[in-house]
Amino acid sequence: MRRLIIVLALALIAAACAAGGEVGDVPPLPETSPAQLQELIASAERPLVLNVWASWCIPCRSEAPLLRAAQASFESEVRFVGLNVRDGQDSARAFVNEFDLDDFEHLFDPSGAAQGSLGAGGVPLTAFYASGGELVELHFGVIDERTLALNLDEIIRRSG
Amino acid sequence: MEFTLLWSALTGVAGLYLALWWMGRRDTRLCVRDLWEITVTAGVIGLAAGRLVAMLRGGVNPVAHPGDLLLVRAGVDTAAASAAALLSAAWLARADLREQLDALAPAALFGLAGWHAGCLFRDACLGTRSSLPWAWSQPGSPITRHPVELYAALLLAMAAWLLFRIRLRYPAPGLIAGLGLSAAGTVRLVTEPMRPTLFTGPVWWYAAAIVAGIAVAAWAMRHPKPTGSTGDVPPLQ
Repeated sequence: MRRLIIVLALALIAAACAAGGEVGDVPPLPETSPAQLQELIASAERPLVLNVWASWCIPCRSEAPLLRAAQASFESEVRFVGLNVRDGQDSARAFVNEFDLDDFEHLFDPSGAAQGSLGAGGVPLTAFYASGGELVELHFGVIDERTLALNLDEIIRRSG
Repeated sequence: MEFTLLWSALTGVAGLYLALWWMGRRDTRLCVRDLWEITVTAGVIGLAAGRLVAMLRGGVNPVAHPGDLLLVRAGVDTAAASAAALLSAAWLARADLREQLDALAPAALFGLAGWHAGCLFRDACLGTRSSLPWAWSQPGSPITRHPVELYAALLLAMAAWLLFRIRLRYPAPGLIAGLGLSAAGTVRLVTEPMRPTLFTGPVWWYAAAIVAGIAVAAWAMRHPKPTGSTGDVPPLQ
């Protein structure tokens, strides 16, 4: 029994160590400023979903597969932007690589100043904008499929 | 688990407890405590299994990230959760399977109704667009929508009440459990098109649950346990 526990413990440690870490072909994320982010939102010609994330944020890891699937489904109608905050380039790139979020447009905000311009702190955070930058919903915490689908419908409808 | 979702969990558990308490008052043969333990344990096992399957499907390694299991909000696979909860309940009630599941079914449906009604506390009742007079809208939105979670809550509560009435009138062991499974599948199937989703839900699983439930109910009607017979019990010394 003791041997079995030791083997299981070693397997768990090995699996934990093997997870993530590779940046793959992901290029460095472009750094943004509060002014640039506000300009991006205001000039949005399509509905916009802005997801604020960090590689050290465990809930962000949980919602990443859902956001990737939503982006793949609504790519033609909605612009998806990820804002990485208070993070390092390598950790952020490894996260993008691990969850195949390459198709997302990502911005780098190491100081968190750009996020501060949204008037909301904490991660994860998901903001939904209709085209022209009208804020429709600011969702704090992990996003679920229902909330994501409902707000995608809202911003598409209001932009149409 | 986020606190908003905790409200739904609390209303679900409260609904379950209320239904068991009410049923226990009207049927003194019921062991409410056993039923409560079976349902809560099966519910927790179902939730964990559903979350685990959702993580695997999303590409999250549960061994490397065991803490993610607690992030229920990020997604639970409904079909896996339902199957695991049903199997756990059947295993836990195996000593007196048909009678225990019959007693559980109305209470479980009422608990599910409570879970859906919990949307009122977390502002998550809305579904697809609708122009019906009772349609609601998000704060500040001109778009009105079906309050789909309240439809589900209402239908499940009605089904629970009907099952309880039927159980008292037609005590064919297994009948109520089968009808309960069918009712849960039907409510889910009927309300699914009104839910805002990114992907098509497991509608075939709901249809399968309806068919399986009807089959169990039909089987129970054909194989009633004889009441008053001595069965295999030897003469008492």
